[in-house]
Amino acid sequence: MDHFPGNWGQPLSRDPHVVSSTDWFPGPGRAAAEPIARTQQPMVTGTSVLGIKYKDGIMIAADTLASYGSLARFRDVKRIISVGENTIIGASGDISDLQHIEHMLETVMIKEYCVDDGHTLYPKHIYEYLSRVMYNRRTSMNPLWNSLVVGGVRNGEKFLGFVDLQGTTYQASTIATGYGAYIGQPILRKAVEGREDEITEEEAVKIMDDCMRVLWYRDARSSPKIQRATVTAAGITVTEPYELTTEWGFAENIKGYGA
Amino acid sequence: MSIMDYNGSAIIAMKGKNCVAIAADRRFGVQAMTLATNFQKIFPITDHLYLGLPGLATDVQTLHERFRMKVNMYHLREEREITPSTFASLVASTLYERRFGSYFAEPLIAGLEKDGTPYICSMDLIGCVTTPGDFVVAGTASNQLYGMAESLYEPNLEPEDLFETISQVLLNAVDRDAISGWGGIVHVITLDKVITRTLKGRMD
Amino acid sequence: MTIVHAHQVSAAPVQTLMERRFSPYTENGGTTLAVAGEDFCVIAGDTRQSEGYHINSRYAPKVYQLSNGAVLATGGMYADGLTLVKRLEQRLEWYFHQHEKTMGIGALAQMLSIMLYNKRFFPYYVWNTLGGLDEEGKGCVFSYDPVGNYEKHHWNCSGSAGHLIQPFLDNQVGHKHQPKAQAGLLSFDHVVRLVKDAFTGATERDIYTGDYLEIFIVRAGGITKEKIDLKKD
Repeated sequence: MDHFPGNWGQPLSRDPHVVSSTDWFPGPGRAAAEPIARTQQPMVTGTSVLGIKYKDGIMIAADTLASYGSLARFRDVKRIISVGENTIIGASGDISDLQHIEHMLETVMIKEYCVDDGHTLYPKHIYEYLSRVMYNRRTSMNPLWNSLVVGGVRNGEKFLGFVDLQGTTYQASTIATGYGAYIGQPILRKAVEGREDEITEEEAVKIMDDCMRVLWYRDARSSPKIQRATVTAAGITVTEPYELTTEWGFAENIKGYGA
Repeated sequence: MSIMDYNGSAIIAMKGKNCVAIAADRRFGVQAMTLATNFQKIFPITDHLYLGLPGLATDVQTLHERFRMKVNMYHLREEREITPSTFASLVASTLYERRFGSYFAEPLIAGLEKDGTPYICSMDLIGCVTTPGDFVVAGTASNQLYGMAESLYEPNLEPEDLFETISQVLLNAVDRDAISGWGGIVHVITLDKVITRTLKGRMD
Repeated sequence: MTIVHAHQVSAAPVQTLMERRFSPYTENGGTTLAVAGEDFCVIAGDTRQSEGYHINSRYAPKVYQLSNGAVLATGGMYADGLTLVKRLEQRLEWYFHQHEKTMGIGALAQMLSIMLYNKRFFPYYVWNTLGGLDEEGKGCVFSYDPVGNYEKHHWNCSGSAGHLIQPFLDNQVGHKHQPKAQAGLLSFDHVVRLVKDAFTGATERDIYTGDYLEIFIVRAGGITKEKIDLKKD
């Protein structure tokens, strides 16, 4: 039995007869070179987020499921958040990291408000802030395990951007994360690219619902309960969670795979 | 490093107007060490058909001997000359026979059909054939050859223009590959003759 | 202590999440190129950003006009490139206020090398090409590897189609293997034509190059920018 708590759980790589004063104290204080475990893995996760530009502004959609591995752990989690008057963020990846980001953004918005110069943060500013936070965390090898879709309208200018755990950023007229990048993105590009200023809200809703429905059919970590959010010149609207209509008649005709 | 990059090579074939050209570098080396600058990588099969074999030098020579035997057998049995497309099938099936213990060479074939129609093809080391309409490349300098050929090539070139094009593509490509070059050889195949020229290149 | 044998059902939680090690690096592809002329410099890059077989964006420019009149083309990891450019701009501004003049391209080239080498053991995963005019107004090009190794030349191409385009530039700009060609630097129109040809060719064979081509032209009178279409497949 090793009676020095500071050695518990540590490899026996030194002469046990040499005693130092720090040996009685547990924790990483003894040797500065000890590895610190901080590379995490995502625990409770959200799947795809979709975002498009359309005539009046930006539309983002995501389901409300937070999975624990393959377990559908929390079925009513809001993964689209609004920040300020004209920015929305959809997040896939670790839910606790998303809630941490939400907290950081609240702090930033309060600080900006307290300056009291009548100025608030634009979608672009929030995007820039998030990209620097995400890049900084990746550089310290302690990432926030998310892919974020940032959307907004300010002064008639539409904005749709992406940030992920490696600090990668880009802007595009259609964005899809996770499984949505495989299944949703091709549908979105076909429907939206080159028509960003023509698509009505009604059509945009149909495009999003169609994509989310395909994702529900094929992504095993998804749910049919989804939320949509829009930003237009009029401001932000986030729908209450609603259920997608589905059609399973085709399942009868699937042959093979043991059916 | 892949065994395909052990000796180093660069081969390209191009279609022209009633002619085809095939060109290769002449280096034989082992990794970074050059051992010879007169190594043969293109082999005549018939008067109007040439085979280029880039890849592992020992397999290049083994394959050449096997194809020489097979083509001679074909000529004796069939009493007619093998056509480029038939020869391509022969090469492909020979390679696929060794599906799980392959020869390390990616052959290029260039020739003229009986009526003078140009034929080129390339295949991977287990005999998956592809027959594009313009040019084919292979070897350790394949990226460089693609870049050169994609920008210099134009269709329906006369033999002399085809020679100049393929030579420029080869010489400039191999200068950006550390393990191919050291001179080149070009064959331009027309119905009535084959023009064969060796090229002086950088020797570093 | 209970020993759970392999054939028994364990009551312990089953490991369902896959252990994934975090990689701070990613490759976003793309090709950049620069050619120097007698009194001009052309710097170009495609605008596709990709990750694996995904195209993230068709327009994510990675060629940046710097405040001292030089142009920096980045390739490799987009986030690192962006960060590097932000830091460079900061240094350029400090230099301007301290010395009351803009930084010359020679000094910038040296500084960029040092900034890259300072992160030698956690490098910026970026291949840089710097282009502009020197103190005498002559075009110049510098190219870098991710850890700050750099060289000055008249033409350079790096990135995912660098292997394809570089020999083409050797041939058409450097007149290599053309003993009868007129020696010396090319005219402006000629260079721009070659750059467009080089990229349309590379787009055919490199999946990471495409969508749009952005060309920066640096001349004594200022910098102009041109955007042309590349294939989107």
